[in-house]
Amino acid sequence: MIKKDKYKVEYLISLFISIAAALLLGGIIMWFYGKNPILGYKAMFEGAFNSQYRFATTLSKMVPLVLTGLATAVSFRAGIYNIGGEGQLYLGAFAAAYVGITFTSLPGYLGILIAVLLAAAVGAAYAYIPALLKVYYDIDEVITTIMLNSVAIFFTGYLVNYPFATSQGKMGGTDVIAEGYQLSRLVRLSNLNSSIFMVAVIGIMIYYLMEKTTLGYDFKMVGQNKDFADYGGVNSKKRMITAMLISGGLAGIAGAFEVLGTHFRFLQAISPGYYFDGMLIALIVKNNPLGIIFMSFFFAVLKTGSMSMEMATEIPSELVLIIQSVIIFFIAGEAGMKKIIKPLFKRGEEA
Amino acid sequence: MEEILARIFNLSVIQNTIRTSTPLILAALGGLLTMQADILNIGMDGMILIGAFFGVLGSYFFASSFMGVVFAVLSGIIIGIFFSFMVVKLKADEFIVGIAINIFAGGLTVFLLRSIFGVKGAFSSDQIIAIPRIQMPYLENIEFLNIIFNNHSVTVYLSWILVVLVTIFLYKTPYGMWLRASGEYPEALDTVGVSSQLMKHFSSVMCGVFCGLAGAHLSLGYLTLFSEGMSADRGFIALAAIIFGRSHPVKTFGAALLFGFFDAVGMRLQGVGVPSQFSKAIPYLFTVIALFIIARRHLNKKKNNSMETVS
Repeated sequence: MIKKDKYKVEYLISLFISIAAALLLGGIIMWFYGKNPILGYKAMFEGAFNSQYRFATTLSKMVPLVLTGLATAVSFRAGIYNIGGEGQLYLGAFAAAYVGITFTSLPGYLGILIAVLLAAAVGAAYAYIPALLKVYYDIDEVITTIMLNSVAIFFTGYLVNYPFATSQGKMGGTDVIAEGYQLSRLVRLSNLNSSIFMVAVIGIMIYYLMEKTTLGYDFKMVGQNKDFADYGGVNSKKRMITAMLISGGLAGIAGAFEVLGTHFRFLQAISPGYYFDGMLIALIVKNNPLGIIFMSFFFAVLKTGSMSMEMATEIPSELVLIIQSVIIFFIAGEAGMKKIIKPLFKRGEEA
Repeated sequence: MEEILARIFNLSVIQNTIRTSTPLILAALGGLLTMQADILNIGMDGMILIGAFFGVLGSYFFASSFMGVVFAVLSGIIIGIFFSFMVVKLKADEFIVGIAINIFAGGLTVFLLRSIFGVKGAFSSDQIIAIPRIQMPYLENIEFLNIIFNNHSVTVYLSWILVVLVTIFLYKTPYGMWLRASGEYPEALDTVGVSSQLMKHFSSVMCGVFCGLAGAHLSLGYLTLFSEGMSADRGFIALAAIIFGRSHPVKTFGAALLFGFFDAVGMRLQGVGVPSQFSKAIPYLFTVIALFIIARRHLNKKKNNSMETVS
């Protein structure tokens, strides 16, 4: 137990060092750009927190990040790498929009429930394909999920440009969903909507699932050592498929909330790579569900803040993409870096 | 009907096939080297994007397309070294690093586009010198050969030569054998005194070089401009070609041509009202199906073998 805690502390230290180093690098780039880094970060911070509208915008950006982050975490923890969440998200989003434009006479809450459940089912079904290919045919799921991402994005792109194209002009989107299905906005002008409460509930459920149930424990065991898990009587194949289904379902729900809460219709480019953001988040916090919520908040602050920073200081908002990927580089190389650095210190002690 | 078919399948489709497949061929040649060394590089798309940007940068500031290609290749080398440092030296997960490189490339190129050229979206200028096109006069008399083989950028012909060179390298030289062994039997290779790590580093850096070339072709050959995200998932289609061609350079070349052909035909089909989304999805769908067929055959073979031993 003590060893586990020590590991946690060590990880937290390297996490903070990574974030600090990435922010420092961002500051250096601002400085090269001819801007004062302190003013830049100040503008970023103010842009994310300074008013009710801005804070609401930050919170609204958390919604897809938390869901996609959790989607990644569930599958990665079970040792099956779902990189196809983007495609599952698109299909889920379309499914939700389909419900919203087809069954317009249902009471709102029922329609929303059906839309979300269908989105989850569609996302899960699409994740089921690579899961089966992985488990029964030993086909690398990293490759198949990447390929299936594009297939889903093109497929939904076809749907909304041809059979489901909106009658109001050419925009690559469906019609607006029924008013009763549109999630209510919480703060004027901002996109923050009631989906954030549902995300909170889902977050608690997934936390409970991953940390407190046998299934969650099985996922961990399968992820750490599949053969060992099989030996111990856990059917690793079944667990991997289950993890993939949950993961796909969560990605589908993320898509549904984009439709029901943000855009009120499906758009052909509805996600600017939310799943990849979510994946980075999950990877940074090593698939810890609580960590995902914190890190999603941090990423949301960077996203919202960077827009204000750009307006205030003309530093391009894309700087945050560099900062985010640098954090990942540090975290991904953390274990290897320690192996190189530690012996150096030890040698120093002996001498 | 015949008229429509004639409009879709004519010689210029082949010409377009060559154009659209060249960046795929170049990137895939790099990617198959890492694949043979047992590294799955999904950061190729980002590497192409960075190459495309630095190609334009070099061409613009030195008023020379050659310098553009040099810059693109240098950027490829740097990112290749970084990739191999992360993956081979630090043993970071290769697909995590790959995804991060893609995101990093998207951020970096847009950031630099705005800070150096002061534009958003795309940068084009008369001062970006395109890679020269080759016109072989003795082909001009034969219409068929003229349309297919003439008037392409130098990089197009270069990509064909490189297919041959990579094939010779992999299958006819000891270095190529070492590279393949570093993927298949790394311990055995280390035992004979050749560092498998070194071969993996080499393959990663070469992947950067090839992706840089692919990027240069994109921004200086295929088009003469840089635009945000212009790699447009070509790194992933190249990956599909590698898997479809089972990491063999000639087969991968064939797959890249095939995917380029679908792209070219897709553009035509769109002209007669067929959605382009279908032709665009084909490479990805084909790859999944191909993987499935290969895996099933493999599985059946295994089953048959075990049956034989039983009887």
